[in-house]
Amino acid sequence: MTISPDPAAARIGATRWVTLLAVAALIVLPWLEADRFVLHVFSLIAIASIVAMGLQLLLGCSGQLSIGQAAFYGIGAYTSALLTTKLGLPFPLALLGAGIVAAVASLLMVPITRLTGAYLAVATLGFSIIVYLVIKNEEWLTGGSYGFISIPRAALFGFVLRDPMYSYYVNVGVAAIVYLTFVRIQGSRFGRAVNAIREDPDAARACGLRVTLLKSECFVIAAFVAGLAGSLYAHEVRYLAPNDFTFWKSIEILIMVVIGGVGSLAGAILGAAVVVGLPEFLRGIGDYRMLVFGAILIATMLFGEGGLAAICTTLGRRLGGLVTRLTPKPAGTNESVQ
Amino acid sequence: MRTGSAHEPWLLEARSLTRRFGGLLAVDGVDLSVGRGSVHGLIGPNGAGKTTLLNLVAGVYGVSSGTLHFGARDITRYSTAKRARAGIRRTFQNLKLFGEMTALENVALGLHADTCSGFFDAVLGTPRHRREERDIRDRSMEALRFVGLGGIAAMRAGALAYGHRRLLEIARAIVARPALLLLDEPAAGLNVNEAAHVSELIARIRDAGTTVILVEHHMDVVMRVSDEITVLNYGRRLAHGTPTQIQEDPDVIEAYLGRSLENESAQA
Repeated sequence: MTISPDPAAARIGATRWVTLLAVAALIVLPWLEADRFVLHVFSLIAIASIVAMGLQLLLGCSGQLSIGQAAFYGIGAYTSALLTTKLGLPFPLALLGAGIVAAVASLLMVPITRLTGAYLAVATLGFSIIVYLVIKNEEWLTGGSYGFISIPRAALFGFVLRDPMYSYYVNVGVAAIVYLTFVRIQGSRFGRAVNAIREDPDAARACGLRVTLLKSECFVIAAFVAGLAGSLYAHEVRYLAPNDFTFWKSIEILIMVVIGGVGSLAGAILGAAVVVGLPEFLRGIGDYRMLVFGAILIATMLFGEGGLAAICTTLGRRLGGLVTRLTPKPAGTNESVQ
Repeated sequence: MRTGSAHEPWLLEARSLTRRFGGLLAVDGVDLSVGRGSVHGLIGPNGAGKTTLLNLVAGVYGVSSGTLHFGARDITRYSTAKRARAGIRRTFQNLKLFGEMTALENVALGLHADTCSGFFDAVLGTPRHRREERDIRDRSMEALRFVGLGGIAAMRAGALAYGHRRLLEIARAIVARPALLLLDEPAAGLNVNEAAHVSELIARIRDAGTTVILVEHHMDVVMRVSDEITVLNYGRRLAHGTPTQIQEDPDVIEAYLGRSLENESAQA
């Protein structure tokens, strides 16, 4: 070996510690934080991070720019609402059903996975607009602009999760499962292939990879997790309106991935936390909050292409360097990442 | 990945292969027969159609007319990926590596078509997935050592020296032990020592059972390693034979050293 594996190994160790601290913080949070509204915001962040991780697979790994993820999110949300209210299905089945219906709907998009770049983006946007119009106009099914009301709370094994603390655990739990799933893909045969078609489609074809099939698989997986997120959203908020699923929602999801850092799974979660959490945090300044939000987006981009994930890594390394320089014995990390 | 039966005389047989780009006949009715276990050199002046012919064999371009047989199979209409899966692998003139991945991962992708575990295998960590990953790692390391890159498996492909990137591309192309390997100027930009290493490597690849088609400008490499040579000029086959025959062919000498101006305009 001509290079020493030590720095990489140290970084993996640090990542594991940060992950463990984050998990521990998320588990104890409901006991420390008495305010149920804060838990609700964390639930919304978890839900948003699920959609964002799906888009991360699509954009960051397979290199396909979709600005239509809100369509699958919306399909999942309405499917779950319909399955629980009209068919009386229990929540776990409705959750799964929402993912499956969104994934099946994404098969409609398979013919356009041959498109790339701006053409693909506009095609997905078109799909998003169609789904929005269906939600808005098919009143018999979706309630139209009046919205879909009286969606039941999430329930597990007949136990209704009335306290936001329990739904918080469900939402964060599903987000954690999605995160672990995507982590396992990285470094697997499937993950390598998906990265290869982004880096060089010609070389990938020369290796015998079915580029269009792999792109479609990513579309279906991203749609499935967006459907899951939609279902969780429906039962968290318990009221759906067409305006929750306009193309603006798709843009928001894209912002999460880009400011988090294209290609970084943890970045997608950070991005979701900023896009969902920051407006809540800035509520005090009223109408100026979107202005501040916009300014923060621009500032993040000014720091470079890596987004928040890269900024955190750099800060972590600087902090690590500082800690080792100041103390002879290394201390633990004192900041946890949500 | 062997194709066809032993009594098939040729591994690859192209009949009057033609490719037109607008008004230009880049490849014009070329016949090419490549014997099993041989190294077949493809030479000619710049713009003679060598790379176009290679791309026709690899499936990057469709043929305008003509047929292409690989063993007993008619592959004229096969896509690039399907040809790769059938056992035709290639390298690129302008290096196409997955720059953000490690050298080992680059080679591992060459085995993608040989393995089958997918999304669910990776997520669930099935025994098949673990077995295949181990197998992929072992075979990829073996291919890296074969080309002489055993020591840099963990390095990012984009950070490698130019000569190493050339070798890495070859490792990725041969890891699945293809029946046919297409090398598009593998010695381009290499110094004399590195070029000599590449010719020695091509000979070892042939000896390991892979047939090679070699497009190359380094004449010493082509002459040293080729069993047979086809010379192209203006998209047509100019000559065909052993390296010695080619070196003595008056047409070839004329094509390389130039001809009188009247003949040039008569040709056009």
